[in-house]
Amino acid sequence: MKRTGLLYDDRFLLHDTGPMHPETSDRLRAAYKGIEEAGLLPNLTLIQGKRMSQKYIEQVHHVNYIMRLEEACLMGMCEFDYPDNQMCCETYDTAVLAVGGVIDTVRRIMAGEIDNAFCAVRPPGHHAEISKAMGFCYFNNVAVAARYLQDEWGVSRIAIIDFDVHHGNGTQHIFEYDSTVFYYSIHEHPSFAFPGTGREFEEGIDAGHGYTLNTPVLPGQGDQEYKMLIERDLLPAMERFEPDFLLVSTGFDAHKDDDMSGINLSTECFSWIMETMMALANKYAGGRIVSILEGGYSIQRLPELVKNHVEILLKG
Amino acid sequence: MFVNKSMTTRVITIRPEDSLLQARSLMTEHSIRHLPVTDEDNTLVGIVTDRDIRSATPSILQDDFDSAKERERMAAATVASIMTRKPAVLKPLHTIQDALMIIQGKKVGALPVVDENNKLKGILSVRDLMRAFTNVMGIGEPGTLLGIMVEEKVGQLKRIVDAITEENISCGSVLVAKHWDETKRAVFPYLLTNNVARIKKKLVDMGFTLIDPMEWYIDRLPKSE
Repeated sequence: MKRTGLLYDDRFLLHDTGPMHPETSDRLRAAYKGIEEAGLLPNLTLIQGKRMSQKYIEQVHHVNYIMRLEEACLMGMCEFDYPDNQMCCETYDTAVLAVGGVIDTVRRIMAGEIDNAFCAVRPPGHHAEISKAMGFCYFNNVAVAARYLQDEWGVSRIAIIDFDVHHGNGTQHIFEYDSTVFYYSIHEHPSFAFPGTGREFEEGIDAGHGYTLNTPVLPGQGDQEYKMLIERDLLPAMERFEPDFLLVSTGFDAHKDDDMSGINLSTECFSWIMETMMALANKYAGGRIVSILEGGYSIQRLPELVKNHVEILLKG
Repeated sequence: MFVNKSMTTRVITIRPEDSLLQARSLMTEHSIRHLPVTDEDNTLVGIVTDRDIRSATPSILQDDFDSAKERERMAAATVASIMTRKPAVLKPLHTIQDALMIIQGKKVGALPVVDENNKLKGILSVRDLMRAFTNVMGIGEPGTLLGIMVEEKVGQLKRIVDAITEENISCGSVLVAKHWDETKRAVFPYLLTNNVARIKKKLVDMGFTLIDPMEWYIDRLPKSE
């Protein structure tokens, strides 16, 4: 059994999005319940949210944006940049603890304290742009983790694999000029789903050309199409890139019972995807993989999906 | 929605006495297919297209294609010898709708825009129109498109927009497609949100039919009778 870390903190529940919003604290409660009720907690290294130096966030987000978010919270604003981004006065602190917790999690892997980890965090991150909050996301957790791994630990090639059903526009834009971070995303086709980016011809820019890869999937598709496309697109890309570390933007919203998308994956397919991620980590990155929660809104399905996900990490 | 708001005003032009070689290099350099031909007063005297150039050039399958001799011949021939004189034009206060119909009717790719004295003011190409419609459709703005089937009767759009407004969602654009069905229309609101589960359910509860995205279309070829 692997030494798997679980980043979870009750303080992640304090980010309140109001009564009409799908990105609720119940999502995280459901995720935690799935792990707890399966009796997995004793096997996991529990990691809590942590306030880390702002300099790490500044490697991704503009300092003015960070201050603007903090001010909005202090002023008691309940919406930030777009009506999608509902917030409360705890939102900034929650986002800081979440992204700091993710940094601490990847640090522990580099320090050899744990082998891999799942970060059950909110708010999610992959839509967050350098200077703009989008799609319920404030700090781009996965991007900050990638920059931290590069700057503090000299990791040279990082793969970010994003299987949330929505394209991770923020992550793509942060790294699209960069040949040291490979961004792969599979998601519902942008003509049918938020945020409208992630078409197959978006392949990175200048030195980063060839280091962004998008697989848009048409509505109504399911397991077979996803498996075929991941094998067709992602596996050869990783063969060429040979990442030293895998960061996974994990979204469970492509599930057939999740009403945020038109993609119909089974619970089993999510296990297949995570097993495929694990195999890639073992093959190229010495098993170093951190999965970070993005979307997934079916409170009924999240416990089992997250339990399966964590079991795959424990198995290694 | 006037042509002068969407046209390209920094037009690459050529003189009638210039050579075909110059015309060809200008088109290649700027990735364009139409060169308005103007005299020294900026009066439009014709237009030359990449098709005109190609008609005046040997086939790439021929041995002398792009040979020194051929380039010499292209350098000697003038634009005036192959240009279309008195081309179809637009006026700055033609509308975008006019331009669409003229471009469709005349089967051209671009039209020079001239004032009442035939002075060149700009050029409007199919690409400019596509840009305008990309903007109108909100492509590039973060959001989610819905497809809703509605009865062809007054007041349907209001019910949809009211429902969207009640959910505190901004609407980036609304497209309405005709002839969806004999008695139906398809309404495509582009919602500036990731949060569409509630509004979708609400619309269904109101009796609307959400169209399977794989069945969406905004246009189809006319039925052959």
